[in-house]
Amino acid sequence: AAMRSRAEVDATLQTAKLKPAELLPAVHCLSFGPQAGGGECCLLQLEPGLCAELEAGHSLVIRGEKDEHAVLCSKDKTYDMKIADTSNMLLFVPGCKTPEELNADPASCNIIHSQIAGFSKNYWELRRCRPKLKKLRKLLMEDPYDGPDSQKDQTLTSKYTTEDLLSLIQASEEEILHQLQVIDACKIQGYWRILHFDYEMKLLNHVTQLIDSESWPLSKVPLCACLEELGSLEPREMIEHILVSYGRKYVDAGEVFFEMREDKICRAIAQMLLQNAVKFNLSEFEEVWQQSVPEGMTTRLDQLQGLALVDKSSRPETIFLLKVEDLPEDNQERFNSLFGIREKWTEVDITPYIQDLCAEKQTVGALLTKYARSSMLNGVKVYNSRRPIS
Amino acid sequence: PPLSHSGGTGALAQWVLLELQGEVEPRQSGSLAGSLLGDLHYTREGIPVLIVGHHILYGKVVQLEKPFAVLVKQGGVPQPGPAGPHGHYTVTALIKTKLLFKTRPKPIITHVPKKV
Repeated sequence: AAMRSRAEVDATLQTAKLKPAELLPAVHCLSFGPQAGGGECCLLQLEPGLCAELEAGHSLVIRGEKDEHAVLCSKDKTYDMKIADTSNMLLFVPGCKTPEELNADPASCNIIHSQIAGFSKNYWELRRCRPKLKKLRKLLMEDPYDGPDSQKDQTLTSKYTTEDLLSLIQASEEEILHQLQVIDACKIQGYWRILHFDYEMKLLNHVTQLIDSESWPLSKVPLCACLEELGSLEPREMIEHILVSYGRKYVDAGEVFFEMREDKICRAIAQMLLQNAVKFNLSEFEEVWQQSVPEGMTTRLDQLQGLALVDKSSRPETIFLLKVEDLPEDNQERFNSLFGIREKWTEVDITPYIQDLCAEKQTVGALLTKYARSSMLNGVKVYNSRRPIS
Repeated sequence: PPLSHSGGTGALAQWVLLELQGEVEPRQSGSLAGSLLGDLHYTREGIPVLIVGHHILYGKVVQLEKPFAVLVKQGGVPQPGPAGPHGHYTVTALIKTKLLFKTRPKPIITHVPKKV
């Protein structure tokens, strides 16, 4: 189609009975561009901060396999994507100027021929969500590392590099790297690995026995001496890794030391004891547990939050292993699972098992209000399922 | 796959959104490509005026609280199916401003020419 001329524009204005004197001199003649009807363009509504990130040159990534709902990831955040319908038509126009821009540039063209690049009745909406990190542990648990003397056939292993994880996990890079640190993953020959629990305990045991025989204070364990004494038993990287996992690294007078983390060590030893049976007599367990931890460490039940659950209703009281990381990631499924394990929960007992579900500014209380029903039992407030348990 | 910049190191283009009520359909059968939509004017007070066919639409300039990014799918149409968009997208432009035309269009009554 031929481009409109000034004469044609003026004629239209006259027919429409609009006074040119009341209008800015510039006019945009809008037509549909060659690709306009193709549907290749779509709109993404940006949450605060994302626009600035794009302008700064950062990328946004859409992640998700065919069977997963797609998420959008910035450098450090994850968002659910949802289609929003409007009843209106949205046309996107490159090179279209606003009145401010036209007024700021008096020499601007009299006729601006603008091509509409595309149009849509809907757009993608974003909602910040928790990164979907359960899959990370699941992938790394496919092949836990159990030491250099592993009997496993190395050709049958499934191992993941950082790039592999970035393409498979629905979370931002920062969230993934942070989670790798939280679960004490380490890089072995370029692949991220989780240690097999038995191997991890073996390494920890080497270190705690050495601390004991050398009478080192738990707050000042020297890295060099550990590597020297234990280097013949295990790879040096593994010795350092276990110290990093179970201690806090610091430098004193140019030497590297570790302050051992009492809570984490006690917790690991508890797991080691609890995983051997369905449940234990609580007082027997507490006795054995205290005897099993390194000299100078004190065991406390609150070290086991999210790892084990005490049954105060049984006589005698018992304790059993229940790891929060083994429970479903989805909110409703998590609550169903918890209420399947125990019909009524106190807030104190259930909190460690739902804490990780809280969204950015959400409280445990808000979650309980939404997914549970409260009642009183023997003067204590308890929560049970909103739906009948089958 | 990342949403990459189409322009490489250059700044992202700024486009404008036009929001209209109703449908956009080609006048003749066939595609919209190349066909005219209308003339967009602004009054001296900055009010957008759109002349489409025999209608005048008055609108307003709105600064978007949440800007849009325009995504272009590489190689094919983005399918907004239940699982979401999959594939490689490029961020072509940002939209921070929209021209919202919500008032009912005023029909233009063509002046009947006087007989000579």
